[in-house]
Amino acid sequence: MGQSPSTDAILIQRIRAGETDAWNDLIKQFEGRLLAYVFARLRSQSASEDVVQETFVGFLTSLPNYDLSRPLESYLFSIAAHKLTDHLRREGRRPTVPLVSNKDSQGTWDVAGRQRAASSVMRSGERRNLEIEALSQALRQQIEAWRSQGEWTKIQCMELLFVRGTSNKQVAADLGLTEQQVANFKFDFLAKIRKSVRHQKLPRDVFPELHESS
Amino acid sequence: MSRPVSAAQWEAYLDEALPPEEMAAVEDALRRRPELAEALAEINGRRDAGIYSLGGIWRQTRLTCPTRDQLGSYLLGALPEGFCSYIRFHIQTVGCRYCAANVEDLRRAGRDTEATTEARRRKFFRSSAGLIKRY
Repeated sequence: MGQSPSTDAILIQRIRAGETDAWNDLIKQFEGRLLAYVFARLRSQSASEDVVQETFVGFLTSLPNYDLSRPLESYLFSIAAHKLTDHLRREGRRPTVPLVSNKDSQGTWDVAGRQRAASSVMRSGERRNLEIEALSQALRQQIEAWRSQGEWTKIQCMELLFVRGTSNKQVAADLGLTEQQVANFKFDFLAKIRKSVRHQKLPRDVFPELHESS
Repeated sequence: MSRPVSAAQWEAYLDEALPPEEMAAVEDALRRRPELAEALAEINGRRDAGIYSLGGIWRQTRLTCPTRDQLGSYLLGALPEGFCSYIRFHIQTVGCRYCAANVEDLRRAGRDTEATTEARRRKFFRSSAGLIKRY
């Protein structure tokens, strides 16, 4: 995930102090991976370079608001993703997605079998960031524990289930496990994360997946 | 895509985080079936309302992405087999776009000429350095 946040933070502080050498260093460090990310989609060197150029300009424009605790590489990739999306829309390759659903003029959403209004979970951005950080910390702890024990299959299993959204049955087939093993891994994983979330006194309804049956 | 698109993949599509061929397949599906945009709008709405998907947080905070140094060691074959095989899975099966870009960049570093790379970096610098100011 790039360099440690403290190294990133020093580089950003130098750029904020107006050091052009620091800006040159940042370009040197990140342009190659940004270009590879964009090129994988556009397959055109000149168009990809234009998007990366817009990414760097976008970064400098947003610099006063950049949160130093956020990993720099991820932040740059997120700007590149926005610039790439804009480029694809301009070219007519990426269909526009409405910002809100038309199904319900009140703007309400059905969440995992619970009838809830969006307004009931509307919270400040700061509160949301704290909740996301708390959940990612709980996830990180469990992943680190598995990593240190060399339990790679369990990590792969959870990554397929949650990051890819693959079904239990397919995960079992992909990883050479039984469906029962997949269900057991998932049950244990969710129980540990739930416990951690409860311990941190986080609201149950903002993480509906943690309370679904496996 | 041979398998149906999962909710987690729809979400990754919105973040421009699916592998390129899957992004293109989703775009094609959206063009052929405009009603699918409704499903994406619902996901947007849930995210705006602060309802989190575990996979979304996992992906956005890059919980299982190896470091750039580890990716370099992976390319050199200098990692233990278990970790090496996990990285292969993370890039090829999960389809992590960010790690794939890092690996491609590391591979390309040995292929591009120094002059080409320098010219490109100079172009990026010249087009943006004017925006630097003291904050």
